[in-house]
Amino acid sequence: MSVITKPLRRETEHLYLPIPCKIVSVRDLTPMEKLFRIQMPDGQELGHKPGQFIQLSILGYGEAPISVASSPTRRGYFELGVRNAGTLTGALHHLSEGDEVGIRGPFGTFFDVEKLAGKDLLLISGGCGLAPMRSLIQYCQDRPEEFGKITILYGAKTPSERLFKEDLVDWARSPAFACKYAVDCVPGDGCFDEGEIGLITVLIPPLKIDVQKTIAVIVGPPVMYKFVIAELKKKGMTEEQIIVSLERYMKCGVGKCGHCAIEHLYCCLDGPVFWLNQISGLRGAI
Amino acid sequence: MKRATTEQLRTFFASLQTEFDVYVPVKLHDGTRVLGSLSEGPLALEGGKIPQKPTSVFFPQFDKVFVVDEQSKFQMAGPVAKPIMVVGFTAQDLDCLEFIDKFFSENYRDDIYFNKRDGSVVVGVSGRCGKDGEFMKIAGGKCDIELIYDGERFVVQAYTDKGRQLSERLVAPDSEAPAGLMDALSRESDALPTDDEDTIDKASDLIRAGKVPEDFWDDIASRCIACTSCNLACPTCTCFEVYDRKQNGKMVRQRIWDSCQLDGFMREASGHNPSGRQMQRTHRRIHHKLAADVERWGHKTCMVCGRCDDVCPTEIGMKSVCKMIVERFS
Repeated sequence: MSVITKPLRRETEHLYLPIPCKIVSVRDLTPMEKLFRIQMPDGQELGHKPGQFIQLSILGYGEAPISVASSPTRRGYFELGVRNAGTLTGALHHLSEGDEVGIRGPFGTFFDVEKLAGKDLLLISGGCGLAPMRSLIQYCQDRPEEFGKITILYGAKTPSERLFKEDLVDWARSPAFACKYAVDCVPGDGCFDEGEIGLITVLIPPLKIDVQKTIAVIVGPPVMYKFVIAELKKKGMTEEQIIVSLERYMKCGVGKCGHCAIEHLYCCLDGPVFWLNQISGLRGAI
Repeated sequence: MKRATTEQLRTFFASLQTEFDVYVPVKLHDGTRVLGSLSEGPLALEGGKIPQKPTSVFFPQFDKVFVVDEQSKFQMAGPVAKPIMVVGFTAQDLDCLEFIDKFFSENYRDDIYFNKRDGSVVVGVSGRCGKDGEFMKIAGGKCDIELIYDGERFVVQAYTDKGRQLSERLVAPDSEAPAGLMDALSRESDALPTDDEDTIDKASDLIRAGKVPEDFWDDIASRCIACTSCNLACPTCTCFEVYDRKQNGKMVRQRIWDSCQLDGFMREASGHNPSGRQMQRTHRRIHHKLAADVERWGHKTCMVCGRCDDVCPTEIGMKSVCKMIVERFS
């Protein structure tokens, strides 16, 4: 199986010039995260593939890489699920419907749905990792006939910190998916009856996996990867069957600024989506 | 082939200032040699490599990405009004320039860099004009014109059509290079010792073969004071940060050189920091040039110019570190 997925690119005269785009809706996901639905100018499509990211720009605040949280099969808009965690995302959280943001991209490698066709998919995400994973889940939801059995695992710290709660319910009801959810803990008198209480790794041992036919996709906080990968390997999965999407600090998105280097690879250019065997053994990758 | 005196070259460069934005090595009042304009001081072709990396003319420490004016109109920088002419690249500097040309053009073409680089004229300097009269390696290409000092005058060797056209305009009467001079200079260049290059090659091999243990990097890192001089001096360092600032009612997005030796270089908004320890940053500085770039580009990206060794206050520049690696782990 090929491990290099060539990035898509939008050729422009000026590499660093953002395109002004309109926010058409803003929705709270949690007290810390919002979902922004954005339209390109003149009815254009973003032209992304699941797993790619854009460089989001707010003048005066700078620019940051944000994963696209919606599938290209949902046409006429794209969505970004963003945590208020820094200067730029803080400014973004103060914007509302009708405001403009700058967009460059889409950039980076993607979940190659052509290579995933016919496979059983095990889609594992934790915390904010559900945002990029959602672009693939929505794609699978819209084209379930292209894939085998699709299992979604999602873990979050607490029930209230779960992203896309309505989607989680919707996916759990869908015949296209088998869904298993977990939360690390339930604070106070709260309850959680939609899954397990524990780390996301507790969801893996009970799974019945057709090892020969399955591809696992992992997106989550850095600490999650090695523990999830260890559980998948116990199931007999190999590094050629595991895809990861990594997050790194980036200033350009096009392999120039140097911040996202993982040894000889650039997360923005050669990633963020990697086959595990591309990066295992590289210092600081996981 | 012409030979020219420093004064004839100064006159030549001055005559080109109407067509080009000319940068030459000049000596400032305090004795410092820098790349500047002829009005800043006397032309100083002799003295070896310029301390400042000459690639900074095309990739300066600060560069505008764009400006947004009061009417919210974007102004992108276009090609420079006058093409740039830079004099003073050593053979090693030209190797560095060749690499960053490739770096900024492959995958995505960086228009900000090529706004300056396209149409430029690059002039190399070599021969018996190194520090204390040392012989500087002849590049033999990779530039438009090379000025090769024979101890009295500079042999003017043009390698491109543009270089040939310009050098024809150099006024240097009775200046034909005597027969055999270039052969003699080339032999002198070929005979230069390659100890430093050999050491870097061996260190690269050892790092790539996994022969350098973790505690070595801890040891080197303990001597780093994170002054970032190595990055700022290196002609193949291309990392940059981008930020917005307000200036006279306009919003300016700028890029500025960044350093992988700083704690926050890779820190994400989540707090995750893949290079949060000094050892990781020191390892990256060396490994990136000698191992990672070999994987990515097919060659090392330290061209052994020696600037990081010149500026490092704790003597852990590339040559020093590689010497230790070779001594300890060969």
